[in-house]
Amino acid sequence: MQILSQYDTAHLDPFSPENPLIFGAGLLTGTLGFGSRINITSKSPESGHLGDSNMGGDFGAELVKAGLSHVVITGKSPKPVCLYIRNGAVEIRDALELQGLDTVETQKRIRRDLGDPKTQIACIGPAGENLVRFAAIRSGLKSAAGRTGMGAVMGSKNLKAVAVRGTLDIHIRHPERYLNYYLFNLRRLMGSKWVQALGKQGTPLLFRLANAAGFLSVRNNQYTTVGDQGRLLEAEALEPYSTGMLACFSCPAHCRHRFTVIKGPYAGTQGEGPEYASIGSLGTKLGNLDLENIIQAVELCNRYGLDTISTGAYIAWAMELFQRGIIDQKTTDMPLSWGDGKGILDLIQQIAFRRGFGHILAEGPYAEKIFGEESKCYLLSVKNFPIEMTDERVPKSFALGMATSTRGACHMRSRPSIDVLGLPQEVLDKIYGGPVSSELTSYSGKGRMVWWHELLNAVCDSLGFCRFLTVFSSPRAPQYRQFSRLIELATGLRITPKALMDVGERIYTLERMMLVQEGLCRRDDTLPQRYFDEPIAEGPAKGAVITREDFDGMLDEYYGLHGWDRGGVPKVGTLRRLGIKSLNDFI
Amino acid sequence: MKIKVDKKKCTGCHLCEMVCSLVHVGVINTEKSAIRVEKDDLDTSLHEPVVCRRCKEMTCLTDEDVEEDQERKTYLWSKSRAERCPFRALSVFDDVAFHCDLCGGRPQCVKVCTSKAISI
Repeated sequence: MQILSQYDTAHLDPFSPENPLIFGAGLLTGTLGFGSRINITSKSPESGHLGDSNMGGDFGAELVKAGLSHVVITGKSPKPVCLYIRNGAVEIRDALELQGLDTVETQKRIRRDLGDPKTQIACIGPAGENLVRFAAIRSGLKSAAGRTGMGAVMGSKNLKAVAVRGTLDIHIRHPERYLNYYLFNLRRLMGSKWVQALGKQGTPLLFRLANAAGFLSVRNNQYTTVGDQGRLLEAEALEPYSTGMLACFSCPAHCRHRFTVIKGPYAGTQGEGPEYASIGSLGTKLGNLDLENIIQAVELCNRYGLDTISTGAYIAWAMELFQRGIIDQKTTDMPLSWGDGKGILDLIQQIAFRRGFGHILAEGPYAEKIFGEESKCYLLSVKNFPIEMTDERVPKSFALGMATSTRGACHMRSRPSIDVLGLPQEVLDKIYGGPVSSELTSYSGKGRMVWWHELLNAVCDSLGFCRFLTVFSSPRAPQYRQFSRLIELATGLRITPKALMDVGERIYTLERMMLVQEGLCRRDDTLPQRYFDEPIAEGPAKGAVITREDFDGMLDEYYGLHGWDRGGVPKVGTLRRLGIKSLNDFI
Repeated sequence: MKIKVDKKKCTGCHLCEMVCSLVHVGVINTEKSAIRVEKDDLDTSLHEPVVCRRCKEMTCLTDEDVEEDQERKTYLWSKSRAERCPFRALSVFDDVAFHCDLCGGRPQCVKVCTSKAISI
């Protein structure tokens, strides 16, 4: 993000050659840490402001093994190309023959051409080539920089793939002490029930919890649970398809499924996933409870290179508009109805290839120009970026985190999932360094909670760590103290836990400044109208709603902790303290 | 003692390779590990850790006038030995073969294999 901030993106069309596409590995990516991830950053063609997406798998570590931490790509190739990096040497290769191939075939072809099966590849599919605004960058069978349309930026540069291969040493400052410290933390981490459950069932284990609590997006958040029918989509329902668990590079938790569909209309489909976010987005959000159809829909998105979350969100938007008669078949070419599995598969294909109605949906939030003003409030979004697979009207901390997330509606910027554990007040106070209510539905202290998680998550991303191995759902997971020690033993850099927290603050305030530069402020830190105006109609969360006054109170607390003014703009003193230039100097 | 492999349990995390190189050469380099994970992440087959099987009859040392027990305890081997291994169990990088010496009796790779695909 710091690199993106050095470009004058506020005045750039995201599809312009000058918009940089940045691949950035974490400081400890490729080492023994708590994950080994990479961030892909650019101005988003979906939201229209800062975009980034964090990807697991093996690509990030391979880039580090090749001797690079960051790759910044600007400009535009006149013809399709592939970037090939091997041990620091960079080569641009023709990719004409790769055009039109899906993301898996693209990778297989590149490996075959290079004659090296260990090559790691981040690529786009037809969706990215066709500039679908929510196209993803993919690696392996399922790893994705899914959100904010990074694949479309890549497509706009005529860059089909980045292939990396590295065999260089990663030097460790204190090998023996580092290994011992890692093993100590590994044992502690693997003793956590959360990590053990994650390693057996993966993220689908969250589905049952969300459904039982009324946290799900059902039919575009008109409902928030599917009741007893939820068993059709729970983790146990996936077991017959699972062929084993897999891990990202250097991850001890191994939360990824491989699957094969043996019978039925989708027999023969193989791949990885689906994750909870995709089950919700292409399942319940669309009123679709056919698990095999969801698996197929997710796999199509993976192959075409579409973000499953945004794809589900825009289809759900269109379905509700159709339900309400705001659009009809003159616009859609086909009837849209909740739970129409075949229709969903057709729409995914139409979007990826920009055919028929898919050409309109491929524009993401900008389809509003076709759908009309009345359509606007039915696209549940924050900062022009759609809400995901969940509904946040019950857990107030989740709701605030959605509203303040710098990339728009997003649970990865802060989601304090440990809020659902109902931990004793004194435990929460100790973690967060101030009063935080242990009541999930309380607004009290939740500004502090979200602020704290935003900082921690920003540091996690910078180190290449995974949310699931840090304080996402378990208070016993590694935090700043462990990060600080690992950094020192691995690199020799001494960064105190407090200084690391300052790093998180600096990152988040820098992102905030980039939004301010785009003209965003307090009025944009809000939630979909439905969250404020429509109490949940039925189910376990019946009656839940966000009250504007209480929401404003959370926001005030949150701004205060960040050192931003009541309008959501970082104060001069805050910028000075963090070493960030003021708005006037800011490009 | 030898390292036993249950390939069905391997998740492909590469932690065993990382630790092996760290313990023996003080850097992380999965190419310089005596254990390697055969992995095709674009197929639906799972992964397989490959490591020296500690054969009673050491085909790898054929025609060499060396003490077998001594060689079992060494990590860096010549490439020709790897080529003689009927199981292709040794990793080769830059013409050097990496042979599992069981870390002197306390294999470190086993400690990080959380799925228990490798055990002693």
